[in-house]
Amino acid sequence: MRSLVLFIGAGSFFSLPASGIEKYSDPATVNKKIEQISQGSAGLVRVHKLAVTPGGTDMLMMEIGKAGSTVPAVMVAANMSGTAPLSTEAALSLASRIAADAKLSSAVTWYIIPMGNPDACGRYFLKPLYMDSGNAKGYNDDNDDRSDEDGYNDLDGNGIITQMRVKAHDGTWIPVAGDQRLMRRAEAVKGEKGIYKLYTGGVDDDGDGQYNEDSPGGTNVNINFPHLFRSFDRRSGLYPGSSPEANALLKFAFAHPEIAMVITFSNTNFLIAPPQGGRKGAADMDNIKIPEDMAGAMGFDASRTYTMAEIMEAVQPMLPPGMTVDEGMIASFLGLGAVVNPMQEDLAYYNEISSEYKEYLKKKGVTDERFDPAQPEDGSFELWAYYHLGLPVFSMDLWALPKPKEEKKDASGITIESLEKMTSDEFLALGEDKIKAFLKERGAPAQYSATMVMGMVKSGQVKPAQMAAMMKQMPAPAADEKKGDPKELAQLAFSDKWLEGKGFVPWKTYSHPTLGEVEIGGFVPFTDNTPPAAMADSLLDLQLPYVFELVKKLPSLKIAEARVTEKGGGVYQIEAWITNEGYLPFPTAMGKRNKIPAPAVLTLEGAGVELLSGKKRTPVNDLGGKKSSKYVWLVRSAGKSSVSLKLESKQAGTDSKQINIGG
Amino acid sequence: MKAKRSIAAFVFTALAMTLSQAQEIKVPLRFDFYYSYDQVTEALKALNTAYPGLTTLEQVGKSEEGRIIWALTINNPKTGAPLTKPGIYADGNIHGNEIQAGEVCLYLANRLLTNYGKLKEITEVVDRNAFYIIPVVNVDGRVHFFSDGNTPSSNRGLRIPLDDDRDGLFDEDGPDDLDGDGNITAMRMRDTLGTMKSDPEDPRLMVPVKPGEKGEWTTLGQEGIDNDGDGRINEDSEGYVDGNRNWAYNWSPPYAQNGAGMYPFQGTGIRAIAEWMMARPNIIMVFAFHNTGGMYLRGPSFKSAGELPQGDISVYNYLGQKIEKIVPGYKYLISWKDLYTTYGDFTDFTNNLLGSYSFVGELFQVETETFDGTMMRKEAERSMFGASPEADRQRLQFNDHVTQGELYKDWKPYKHPVYGDIELGGWVKMSSRLPHPFMLQDLVHRNASAVIFAAGNTPDVEMDVFEVKKIEGDLWRIRVRLVNDGAMPSVTFQTIKNKLYPQDILSVSGASASVVSGGRISDLYNGLVDYKEYKPSVQFCQVPGFGKVDYQFLVSGKGSVEIKFESRKAGSIVKTVKLSDK
Repeated sequence: MRSLVLFIGAGSFFSLPASGIEKYSDPATVNKKIEQISQGSAGLVRVHKLAVTPGGTDMLMMEIGKAGSTVPAVMVAANMSGTAPLSTEAALSLASRIAADAKLSSAVTWYIIPMGNPDACGRYFLKPLYMDSGNAKGYNDDNDDRSDEDGYNDLDGNGIITQMRVKAHDGTWIPVAGDQRLMRRAEAVKGEKGIYKLYTGGVDDDGDGQYNEDSPGGTNVNINFPHLFRSFDRRSGLYPGSSPEANALLKFAFAHPEIAMVITFSNTNFLIAPPQGGRKGAADMDNIKIPEDMAGAMGFDASRTYTMAEIMEAVQPMLPPGMTVDEGMIASFLGLGAVVNPMQEDLAYYNEISSEYKEYLKKKGVTDERFDPAQPEDGSFELWAYYHLGLPVFSMDLWALPKPKEEKKDASGITIESLEKMTSDEFLALGEDKIKAFLKERGAPAQYSATMVMGMVKSGQVKPAQMAAMMKQMPAPAADEKKGDPKELAQLAFSDKWLEGKGFVPWKTYSHPTLGEVEIGGFVPFTDNTPPAAMADSLLDLQLPYVFELVKKLPSLKIAEARVTEKGGGVYQIEAWITNEGYLPFPTAMGKRNKIPAPAVLTLEGAGVELLSGKKRTPVNDLGGKKSSKYVWLVRSAGKSSVSLKLESKQAGTDSKQINIGG
Repeated sequence: MKAKRSIAAFVFTALAMTLSQAQEIKVPLRFDFYYSYDQVTEALKALNTAYPGLTTLEQVGKSEEGRIIWALTINNPKTGAPLTKPGIYADGNIHGNEIQAGEVCLYLANRLLTNYGKLKEITEVVDRNAFYIIPVVNVDGRVHFFSDGNTPSSNRGLRIPLDDDRDGLFDEDGPDDLDGDGNITAMRMRDTLGTMKSDPEDPRLMVPVKPGEKGEWTTLGQEGIDNDGDGRINEDSEGYVDGNRNWAYNWSPPYAQNGAGMYPFQGTGIRAIAEWMMARPNIIMVFAFHNTGGMYLRGPSFKSAGELPQGDISVYNYLGQKIEKIVPGYKYLISWKDLYTTYGDFTDFTNNLLGSYSFVGELFQVETETFDGTMMRKEAERSMFGASPEADRQRLQFNDHVTQGELYKDWKPYKHPVYGDIELGGWVKMSSRLPHPFMLQDLVHRNASAVIFAAGNTPDVEMDVFEVKKIEGDLWRIRVRLVNDGAMPSVTFQTIKNKLYPQDILSVSGASASVVSGGRISDLYNGLVDYKEYKPSVQFCQVPGFGKVDYQFLVSGKGSVEIKFESRKAGSIVKTVKLSDK
């Protein structure tokens, strides 16, 4: 189900673009580009400074749309972790596209934040290169007497922080048989003994026996939000909203109730992998147990369970007059806690949209498989936007490592048994590719390359039957896990194919001041989530147009029909059908639960009209996508009069109708 | 009856006058009336003026309506700057209606300052600690509680509007003070089909009719009209964001925690106080005063937090059990277990993110409103869901004969725009959760005494370099003992568990000496030491409450060696020893 067709191999992505992104933009360039987009837009794009980071960079937001417009808004936040340069380019590119076509901002206002974590974003452009999502606020990672005192060191001077492997008695790592560049954990139960210890590159700057345990970097803005916030985590910040960046977004979002959808460009992709449930601790609103001490006082039975509705009904009479019970009151009193899993009704939409998106990609010619995106982190912006704002939230990671072709397709088809029966000529006739594949399948040591083995056979040094006998003596071929981590294999394959092998620094010996003889090498940071900049344009051209498809799905409320029926004696019944013409429900199921999206309000007004039944201001709390709902009033009017019916929602639009009564 | 009513009316007018009349604010402060917000400000300024050497008055921040939140710091500069001492923090009135909490804080400041240099106990706690006092957290709430019509329980929250009835309008239909007496009391109307009848024992009270009985009254809720014409009365009153559910530790959104606010620290004043406190990491003891019920509550305030570390429980037990005696009738309890679960409350924040021992003091027990002032009513009558009729009868007796009718408004007719002829009456806002001013002195003194007792138990660390011994050549053995006379350790156990900040540091250094090895002595007599493999010159330690900890350093070199103890909560100590044969 989750092996998905994506992005790589559909030839055109990798042809270099004629213009556009040649390299990723550093924070200063991003902010310059934001100003440029604004200046060239004749007032359509307005720039707001949301915050200044601890590192002193402005966190900017573009507001795109007609000034003073009251249409719903879409918030796009990119690179909240600061570790995905492509996502920042995506936000800039999206903004340019919208700024260039006023039609794209007529129905919605856009709030676009290309760098949600500017300090961390800047790290990609510094030497030595390493990945860290923390902003520039100092943090004492190792809880000692100093902060940020033991970061990485570029020992081999290549400007890249990779790994160090060192042979040690208590080593737990061994090289992967198929590709000695990669490492895997030794499995003691299978009789394997670890050889190496792995470290990130560096020295023990503070002499505490640990390496690089307190590198500069404070709060990862992306996980500084109040849903499932991880207290006392290294990069989560002291409390939700403790970073100026996250705090600015919390404030901004609640000050702008017109935000109807949130889109993030990041390392997750809800269009491919909808948010997952399955977390423990979710209260079941249909089966609530009442603790014994409370049950007694309130007349409940502690041994059975109740529905929320039953509890509310039972509690109402206990409250002082004038106080109305609501779910929040009960939930907080009983300590039921917050929702932790996506609502089923919302997941149905996520799954449907995901299928549609995959279809969209297929139509664009994307056929190769990619690795699944990461799931959102606890405390993340994406989770918060869904659970706390109650909005539809979509995320796009825009690129992932392509999965190498299934091994089976280019399997050698050779077995030890068949090898045993082969003549030397038959063996050589198999050709280098098949022999290479066979050697790899058998986990042959790297020095036994296909050419070398073929040479040995050609020279008569060894016969196929002898080879088979030798192989029988060797340990059974490596099981799948012994081939190494599939993602690392893919990363290596991508590096070899597209980066001229520069995505991996070959292991090289180095004399370390405290560890002695070590080898330095390993993957270059960012080569697992960041394609070469030259690929960016084609990736964005392919995927960004779908953002506009998502926006078309927003709920849109209309007064479909308003009708008057005379009841006699100057009494009239007014009936109005309210329709959600959009695809998405108003609000999401989560929004219904958390009651954060403001209801649409239906207002009935008319001079000389007396309201007999129904309200002047009626909240429309929810209306499913493509659904309609009827509202009824009874009014009395002595003579002819005109009644105006107004529907107002910041998130789902406004509409009005004039109704004539009498005459 | 008639005579009594007119006396009551007179007393009411008098009470209203006392409230509005400007009191002269002089040091020593008086505690026979409730201070308005302006008077609290004036009182703090008066204390600051009277004791300029011992006090600092600061603006912590501003509220939603722009009022200043004041903090008074009491510190003797002759014994060191505030950050070099254990910090004791006390605040009150985070809930706008819980005003006597502010008086406890004012009294604490007044008590400490006016008795400094006179009473040994007070002089000692002032010299050894820094006191941080914020008498009124919810400054808007206090102002509106005095100036607007209120019930004893209304006007708790911050002035952040919320659309309770979801009609697109905010706070547009709260209760109304129909008779303009400053109170929101109850409305009732005569109704033979009603479900209530007058209590035969005290006709001011109502009791439910029994099946088959004829009713007399229908109750109509709190005083008010339908302000927004939506056919409902009082359905969208002010707020509600509860200042004590808006803190950023274990915060939960409003659908799971009523009054949480949209996000942690949405309250501008709440955020300002948090930042102000974070800038004072020496705070090791926090008291947050509220009303009501007579309780001292400790965390955790939610079950899934698990129990606190045993070492911290011992500290709380020691303090709590003593406080139960200092304030008779008050119970020392665990917040989630003995009361209810809360998310995002203040003391969980201070306990977990500031590393402070924290108590919520729930002031006043309405059960003491009896003729002899003792708790006459049975425990069983205490209920979360309102007082029993018998309790109300007793309180009315107290109202009639001890407060001469100040606490209760007799029913009187009123013409209501929707209901027609109705009656208004009931308990006034200055009742039920607040002691009558004649009982205030006792309440503020005892509860301030609880704070002073805790201040006497902050970590009080002494350093003793009890051995400097030459081993051979230039190798020396130095043994250091840290002794703590207070009940509180120098770092809370919860802080260590959370890894909130580094533990205290004991370090040894010398210009011509280096530390070869060092560690905590686990057995002094057998010479067992837990050596720290790396950086032995810097040891991370906690000095236990009412206890000691010993360290040993092997130092190679000569000359003078500095031994330094540095603690966030317990100050610093530096001693110098000479490595010398003489």
